[in-house]
Amino acid sequence: MYDLDLLEHTDTVNELLARYGVKFGIYKNNTFREQLFPFDAIPRVIERAEFDFLERGLKQRVVALNLFLKDIYSQKKIVKDKVIPEDFIFASSGYMAECEGVSPRKDIYSHISGIDLVQGKDKSWYILEDNLRVPSGASYPMIARELCRRSSPQTFRDTRLEDNRNYAELLRRTMDNVNVGGHTVILTPGRYNAAYFEHSYLAEKTGAHLVNGSELRVEDDKLYYVNFDGRLERVGAVYRRISDEYLDPMNFNPESVIGIPHIYDVYRKGNVALLNAPGNGIADDKGIYYFVPKMIRYYLGEEPILHNAPTYLPFYEEDMKYVLEHFDTLVLKDVAEAGGYGVVFGSSMSAKQKEDFLALLKKEPRRFIAQEVIDFLDIDIFEGSETVPRKADLRAFVLMADEPLVWKSGLTRFSRNPDSFIVNSSQGGGFKDTWVLSH
Amino acid sequence: MKKLYFEYYMQIVYSEAAQSCRYTMKCIPAGTDRQRLETLKIQIHPEADYCEGEDSFGNRLLFGGVDIPHDSFDICMKGRITVGLAASEPITKDTDAMLFRHHHGLTKPGERIACYFESLRGGLQGTALEQGKFLMHRLHQDFVYEQNITDISTTAEKAFRLGGGVCQDYAHILITLCRMAKISARYVTGMLLGEGKSHAWVEILSDDRWYALDPANDLEVTDSHIKIGVGRDAADCAINRGLVMGGGRQTQTVRVSVTEEEI
Repeated sequence: MYDLDLLEHTDTVNELLARYGVKFGIYKNNTFREQLFPFDAIPRVIERAEFDFLERGLKQRVVALNLFLKDIYSQKKIVKDKVIPEDFIFASSGYMAECEGVSPRKDIYSHISGIDLVQGKDKSWYILEDNLRVPSGASYPMIARELCRRSSPQTFRDTRLEDNRNYAELLRRTMDNVNVGGHTVILTPGRYNAAYFEHSYLAEKTGAHLVNGSELRVEDDKLYYVNFDGRLERVGAVYRRISDEYLDPMNFNPESVIGIPHIYDVYRKGNVALLNAPGNGIADDKGIYYFVPKMIRYYLGEEPILHNAPTYLPFYEEDMKYVLEHFDTLVLKDVAEAGGYGVVFGSSMSAKQKEDFLALLKKEPRRFIAQEVIDFLDIDIFEGSETVPRKADLRAFVLMADEPLVWKSGLTRFSRNPDSFIVNSSQGGGFKDTWVLSH
Repeated sequence: MKKLYFEYYMQIVYSEAAQSCRYTMKCIPAGTDRQRLETLKIQIHPEADYCEGEDSFGNRLLFGGVDIPHDSFDICMKGRITVGLAASEPITKDTDAMLFRHHHGLTKPGERIACYFESLRGGLQGTALEQGKFLMHRLHQDFVYEQNITDISTTAEKAFRLGGGVCQDYAHILITLCRMAKISARYVTGMLLGEGKSHAWVEILSDDRWYALDPANDLEVTDSHIKIGVGRDAADCAINRGLVMGGGRQTQTVRVSVTEEEI
């Protein structure tokens, strides 16, 4: 592995990434800064057979999550059958009553899902979280592969792996599958968004128009793109990279200046497709995560192929007891937080912090989940010319077109800090390409 | 049963010309077992095409925009309706019982309401309707009708702390109390016989039927109320919602008139 020619070219690839503007923006202390996303050239390699297994498990999971969303916004059988307590649906900030009775085209809710996995030291994979709202990250391994191939063609002649540059085709197929007639656009909040590079890159690669909210408008029950000369052209599908809350100031947050007034009203009538569907936050809620294996059994009548990290819900008395007894060995997550925030390790709290936390936990048990700390399989990264082991996860992308499609690659994120388990890019981590071998 | 003639008029005057605006009006009286809409006429000025739709609570809505500079925006809705056809309405979706049983938005309880509810808990007896009426009577005794101390975004808890408010606040607090008693309850917008502004009350679910209680007037709704919309709280079924480019300061006037037709 370490004799790959590619590894000689780490600096070149990083320079090219910078030149192509592969950055993400972050707000810290009220100032906007763009930051490079450090690339490590040692690929994460997944054997074909292993990836086939992941693929089956990921498809199963995303199919079940889509059925769950359809059920929750209509009949709620899973609640009536007491598989999921009512509280976990209605007290969740991800549940949106505005989505009740609205059927997205072909009943697809999560067109693009980013499923985060980690591999334990025992080589088994665990699902850490599902991202069904606006998951980002596919563009990074896409462009990294492109630039790696350019820097070291030799490497890719010698190694037979799945080409991951087909993501754009998969995405296009996913968007076309639900387009109701008209243009396909990618809606971005603009260049100050953390993932702006990705928005523009995906637009370029899929041939979709990259637009912002002011270029779209609703007229006579339909959505239009306002052309450069003021003409209106019908839009049939919007891959929107803005959150539900900001999508439509007439239906959601009235303060939003990046959304399109009434877009939700025409979506409701089936006159435009939105990817992903609004309301998906209920399915990737950290509290609902606990119930995903149960959903798979409930909707599909199958045993889950991929497992969750062992998780406890303090909401249940029995689990609360376990959490209190094993507090120091668990990681606790606030269900309302994302991006690696609201995550605390029992073992790293001071006595005072622990006391405060326990008081909060007992007062609002619904707000937290507790998980066993997984002993990650470390993967090597370069630090200077040395290789050092670091924690890493894998974000796999599952696209729901006319059938579920798993992208044969993924974003491997790693923590640069040897003591940290948190790999989020917003917290300074780096990324790797993910190679799926083709034999 | 009464045949009523209603007029709803809303006007927004801008201190300087508005360049464009967008609006959603959830103002059309509902057709239910209790009331039948006979005629309806809507006029919007400046004249512009609008679309019709329905929200997730089954409320009818009009939405559209004006893209020419204008100094004011007004909507006038007139019609005839028969009310009091039945004492209650059946539940239309069985999941509504769940949807309206959970605390949400402006009706989330705080410490004061929770404490108040505890003081009333002992008096809760009988059907959901009887319990709802009990809570309404007590609230009516302990809360005062007072204008201009609350606004459309005041929570039930805040209004309760103030000790007074308008129909919206009565309705929010009663909804909170009902939900604490595990009774499904929803907010209703509408119009009341007489002259004035729009009105708000509460529907509670008892034996799979919705019964309407008007806590600001401490009475069970019979045939003096015209129902428009429903929601979990006032924000879900606000009669008008708008977005304006330019326009400066806005002054809104609402006039509602409901009279009984001579038969």
